[in-house]
Amino acid sequence: MTVLTDILHLLFTANLWQATLAAAVLLLLPALGGVVSERSGVVNIAMEGMMLTGAFFGVVADLAWHNVWAATGVAILAGGMMASIHAVVSIQFRADQIVSGIAINIFAGGLTVFLVNRIYGLQDVGHLGQSDLLPNLNIPGLEQIPFFGKVLFQQNVVVYAALVLLFLTHIVLFRTRLGLRIRAVGEHPQAADTAGINVFMLRYGAVITSGLFSGLAGAFLAIGISNTFVPGMTDGRGYIALAAMIFGKWTPFGAFIACLIFGLGEAIYANNSIIHVSPYLLSMLPYLLTLIVLAGLVGRSTPPAADGLPYVPGSE
Amino acid sequence: MPPIARRLAGGLAMPLGSVVLAFVIGAVIVAVTGGNPLDAYSGLLCGGLGIACSQGENPALQVSTTIVYVIPLITTGVAVALPFRAGLFNIGAEGQLLAGMMACTAIGVKFSDLPSPILLPMVLLGGMAAGAVWAGVPGILKATVGAHEVVTTIMLNYVAQWLLRYLIIGGPLQLAPGTSKSLTIGPGAWLARVLPNDNSLVIFGLPAGVFRVHTGLLLALVAAAAFAFLLWRTSLGYEIRAVGQSQRAARYAGVSVARTIIVTMLIAGAFAGLAGAIQIAGVDHNLTDIYFSDTTGFDAIAVALLGLGSAVGIVLAAILFGALHAGGSVMQADAGISGSLVFVLQALILFSIAANFIGQIRRLIPGLGRPAALPPEMPPAAPMMTEAAVPPVEP
Amino acid sequence: MAHKRLKFLGVAAAVLMLAMACGGSNGGGGNTKQYKIGLVTDIGGLNDKSFNHLAFVGLEKAKADFGIKDDVIESHNGSEYVPNLTNFASKSYDLVIGVGFLMQEAVGTVSTQFPNIHFAIIDGAGTDAKGNDLKHTNVQSLYFKEQDAGAMVGVMAGWLEKNGKSKKPQHVIGAVGGVSIPPVNHYIAGYKWAAKMEDPGIQVQVGYSNDFTDPAKCKTVAKAQIDQKSDIEFQVAGGCGLGVLQQAGQSGVYSIGVDADQKDADPSVIASALKKVDVATYTAIQNVVKGQFSSGALTFSIANDGAGYALDNLTLPAELKAELDKVQKQIHDGTLTPPADIPA
Repeated sequence: MTVLTDILHLLFTANLWQATLAAAVLLLLPALGGVVSERSGVVNIAMEGMMLTGAFFGVVADLAWHNVWAATGVAILAGGMMASIHAVVSIQFRADQIVSGIAINIFAGGLTVFLVNRIYGLQDVGHLGQSDLLPNLNIPGLEQIPFFGKVLFQQNVVVYAALVLLFLTHIVLFRTRLGLRIRAVGEHPQAADTAGINVFMLRYGAVITSGLFSGLAGAFLAIGISNTFVPGMTDGRGYIALAAMIFGKWTPFGAFIACLIFGLGEAIYANNSIIHVSPYLLSMLPYLLTLIVLAGLVGRSTPPAADGLPYVPGSE
Repeated sequence: MPPIARRLAGGLAMPLGSVVLAFVIGAVIVAVTGGNPLDAYSGLLCGGLGIACSQGENPALQVSTTIVYVIPLITTGVAVALPFRAGLFNIGAEGQLLAGMMACTAIGVKFSDLPSPILLPMVLLGGMAAGAVWAGVPGILKATVGAHEVVTTIMLNYVAQWLLRYLIIGGPLQLAPGTSKSLTIGPGAWLARVLPNDNSLVIFGLPAGVFRVHTGLLLALVAAAAFAFLLWRTSLGYEIRAVGQSQRAARYAGVSVARTIIVTMLIAGAFAGLAGAIQIAGVDHNLTDIYFSDTTGFDAIAVALLGLGSAVGIVLAAILFGALHAGGSVMQADAGISGSLVFVLQALILFSIAANFIGQIRRLIPGLGRPAALPPEMPPAAPMMTEAAVPPVEP
Repeated sequence: MAHKRLKFLGVAAAVLMLAMACGGSNGGGGNTKQYKIGLVTDIGGLNDKSFNHLAFVGLEKAKADFGIKDDVIESHNGSEYVPNLTNFASKSYDLVIGVGFLMQEAVGTVSTQFPNIHFAIIDGAGTDAKGNDLKHTNVQSLYFKEQDAGAMVGVMAGWLEKNGKSKKPQHVIGAVGGVSIPPVNHYIAGYKWAAKMEDPGIQVQVGYSNDFTDPAKCKTVAKAQIDQKSDIEFQVAGGCGLGVLQQAGQSGVYSIGVDADQKDADPSVIASALKKVDVATYTAIQNVVKGQFSSGALTFSIANDGAGYALDNLTLPAELKAELDKVQKQIHDGTLTPPADIPA
């Protein structure tokens, strides 16, 4: 049972939890985006594509300007642009939101490779120097705390930003008028409309927010964790984020806990030079866990009532 | 114009318009990024349909290649279209296809000595059974605890992908250490080719072995016909459509909604599993790492949507996407335009159908087309199919 | 002589590619026939920052030197390998090159159908479904002794650890592979073997990311190894492995690149293990153009300068340079043979 003792030993190292948090945040941002979008009643399975687009344009901008903050802005906006396509198609044109989401993912995958070919002429996408990347930031003082200092306060700036966004999203959704309205629109758009809430406006805002969050995740991946763009580099993370969102029952903190579980899995798996289990079987775990959650074995996971239904003013 | 022709024209206007619109936008993207859209599209046309080849491509070979891609698209297209009719969205055709491949390979390897009349049905039915199981889980979860099938099928896609990797890398189906493929299935499990797989025979100026069209094409066409028959000529088909239109009404009419959902998913999974089994039995004869990156099950969604959920439509849409797939390579070789453009086009077609841009354009410009052919308010794509708004093209 | 020329050509490739982009080629020296060369990538695509890219570099160089007509098809999924290879073969190309181990069976199939067309395959042979080399007379296999390249960087890592010249020397180093397949494991085998030769007490951690495209995954694996006291990290995972180099930079340890010279990927890169796919591709084309195509295996190793290492962002101590030269000569002469399988 050396495997188990190895894992147990690992669980008490700050390094493991530091890696867990970083991996979790990469999932948390798109998952939060998904929560906001779906709470407003728009199904969003397009986080993968939005993230990839953000990653690509972030790298392009950073290579051109050598300004990581501007590049991050571009990545966020690129994610937002993709999201606005989803918004227009699914809110304005009342398209099937799942079809639109699939189309976004296919579109992003094709477009980024196509543009890599056109822009960089079949050559290598360049590498960015350390100074052009989203920096790690050790919080003075706090980083000295044993164990927790390393886990919580020696991280990339995006990790802190994501944690702030986590609290912010929770507060906005559950403690403000705006959040109440967003949720009302997601649960009962007709009633919300009757009460004078602008359903379209709120849904647009929520969907685009999900794109901005996913774009930031793309920036974190491409110009924070990595320093270049590799085609298909998001590698299904947007879908795991989707799983995390459902796992977390469409709440920010629930999603965060799910992301931590998946992130922990990734961090433990990264130690596979000392743990020997078929990596492929291990890789199935997040998806199987989500299925178990969905099967109701860990309590029921119910989406917002009007999730996925286009709103037609005056209907019913 | 006779009413049937008008209805047909009306039914075709939306998908055709969507395709044209996608190609126009695609041309703009190519032009803006400094390419020549005409070169790109002539490459696609040659690669996909063997028409207007300027660089010495063999038209017969291109058509054959396209058909090989079309076969699984038809069958998985059905696997997506059938649940659509019941108001279910099966994104899991990919996982079900992989399940079919795994089962087909496992059986074909295990019983490799059996003669064809026994083994071939075994691998095909085994593939169908595995696909049915893979789709049955989401069906049961949907019918019992209400878990959304979109999410469960996505999760099962990934489970299938990783299971496939496990089986052929370090798992029980691995050929030998260091390889990432399985043993070959017994010859009895192979689907015959349409042209003899004999390289000494020259057909259309090339060795006959290069034409990989196989008899799975017939199975795929039978599957499409079976789909139409099931939907329009059986009581189960009636129940599926009833559930798709309104679960409440179906319940009043005495239809068991839960049972219909589960049965629909089982049948859909069987179709997708069949597609996987046909692919192994007809093309590859072993399970290899090439299917890590397979996207057939996702393309099938586009096929089902563009085909408006009718058997004929699915076959036509499968031909379009199969041709795009085959054409992308030729476009890159001949015109130097990245084959990824094909994915962009595919996404644009999806957007266009889903958002019904064509209907919107018509509404803005009333003089365009034949306004009588379409109702003024076109509902979005997926519900449209479930509400049987499209007249059946089948007899 | 050949050694020097190849090295020069390697450097010249990048320059020539720029020239290509600006004006296109002006044809080769007086040949009346224009040779047609087709390259089919595996699913990594041309921008994989690894062997597909290098193959393309070799192709472009050949185009500049010989005025060939070069065409490329990127495979988007594995079911395209056979049709893409067939495309070029059916158009009577003079050489069809398949890039990568994953394409072995496809090359085997298509080369059977077109016995008069020449094929070359990087990292493999034309095989049947069971993985047996069909030994067709029209197929040239371009193999690499990745273990040679791995051994050179292994010498460097081992020496630095033994002499306390690495960043945090504790006699622990790491390697991050993409997937456990032969071309990856050869590198790691040479690396581990040579490191142990230099520093018998060294511990070599070997991990796999299970991925070739996602840098975040490799980064996490590298971090785990660094946390386990590794202070030299060797990446053998293509685009994914870029995350390894970066993690090393952020953790203040050394890293080693793979396949191409990855000096620019991160300042932490002290060396790169080179697998000169560009040289191999160029050589294969050259043979065809000169009418010297030969079937069977052509193995690129230290012995023919088809594998090796590049020194990157580290000024080497003289003794280490001497040691590297010594080992390189021994491998070159055959007195030392790095193993192909990862030693225990």
